[in-house]
Amino acid sequence: MNSPTLPIQIENLIYAYGRAEAVHDLSLTVQPGRCYGLFGRNGAGKTTTMKCLLNLLRPHSGQIRVFGLDPAKHEVEVKRLLAYVPDQVAFYPWMSVRETLDYLASFRANWNRRIEQELFDRFRLDPAQRIGSLSKGQRTQVALVAAVCPETDLLVLDEPTSGLDPIVRREFIEAVIGAYQQGIPGKRTILVSTHLIAEFEGLIDEFTLIDRGRAVLTLDADLARERFQKIRARFAQPPPEMDLKAALRVRREGRELELIANGSGAELMEHLRQHNPESLSTESLTLEEIFVATLKVG
Amino acid sequence: MLFLISYKSGTPIYLQIVEQVKAAAASGALKPGEALPSIRPLAEELRVNRNTVAKAYTELESQGVIETLAGRGCFLRENHSGLRKDVRRKLLIEEVDRAIVQAHHLQVPRDEFLKLVDERLDVLDDKRRAHEDPNED
Repeated sequence: MNSPTLPIQIENLIYAYGRAEAVHDLSLTVQPGRCYGLFGRNGAGKTTTMKCLLNLLRPHSGQIRVFGLDPAKHEVEVKRLLAYVPDQVAFYPWMSVRETLDYLASFRANWNRRIEQELFDRFRLDPAQRIGSLSKGQRTQVALVAAVCPETDLLVLDEPTSGLDPIVRREFIEAVIGAYQQGIPGKRTILVSTHLIAEFEGLIDEFTLIDRGRAVLTLDADLARERFQKIRARFAQPPPEMDLKAALRVRREGRELELIANGSGAELMEHLRQHNPESLSTESLTLEEIFVATLKVG
Repeated sequence: MLFLISYKSGTPIYLQIVEQVKAAAASGALKPGEALPSIRPLAEELRVNRNTVAKAYTELESQGVIETLAGRGCFLRENHSGLRKDVRRKLLIEEVDRAIVQAHHLQVPRDEFLKLVDERLDVLDDKRRAHEDPNED
């Protein structure tokens, strides 16, 4: 533990609101330069985990390190090293976009004006407009500008696109790729929590799936898509009973079978082949489908 | 050139980019000396991690398919003909394999399958001739 090169290390984190345990024994490590996804349903413990990371909540037990530092003991240093886009953006409604960003920039050692202008253009934001008159999407865009311009090595996004329209969501992700990721490769690390997994699919290198406060699955994204497969077979007759225990899920529909495999795809395919199917096909599950398949069974 | 990323193919995203550049080079859709899209706009357009595109380009460079000219971007190399034939074969093998597997599932025996391939080649040849004829007049 305490490696200064690791952007995030969480070990055995426990947090409870009163008696209700929100995060139970959660551990995860985010390597530098990676985009790490924290996936879970509403109330799974994603926001609680992020708040512990930002020292907005104190863990009941377990250890959290951000670039080797304890956020509770080194709050200022940790906040200097990261930028955060919360799920609920709260700015002063009476300030203009310009005043808001100047105010936020005053807490930062570095503020990239060129990127700021680029993002204004991209989002068609008017710096003179008052925050109170902005739409929810525009306020999120201002929050992203505020998070990208300090050029921190870690960007934390908590459900950044929920409640936004599809165009704004798309632009948000493109801006994260275009503006935040243009820094030194291997130094721009992202932690994003979301239940809108499909939109972040291409960005995610690695992810942890949380359910009821527990980490259910942690995997590299490419590896996950290789491991989780949907297999479809159609037979001339309704298929006989066969041993399909290796499948995560089995669905029968007349002469057809649909299996979800977790790592046992080749074995199951071979098994099905022995019963001479009329057709047999396989495809990978997307991260969202993996999410659904894993949580429905468990 | 245009890319199409599929999250259902089970192939890592960076490899999909590598394979599509090679396929475009083999088919002539991308010509020697032509530029590939820059990393940043391509990553944004596909909404994939910049590191993924960078990894694909590094891989293509190490395989001698593209070259990076400082400050100007990435280009398809003039000289990759050996690879080109290789890649063509590989692409075709994948398609042929798929057809063979399908034939197996449909219980089409070997000789019938080969006869079908022959037939289809004739049909498509005829079609092409019919298509070309008006221009020859």
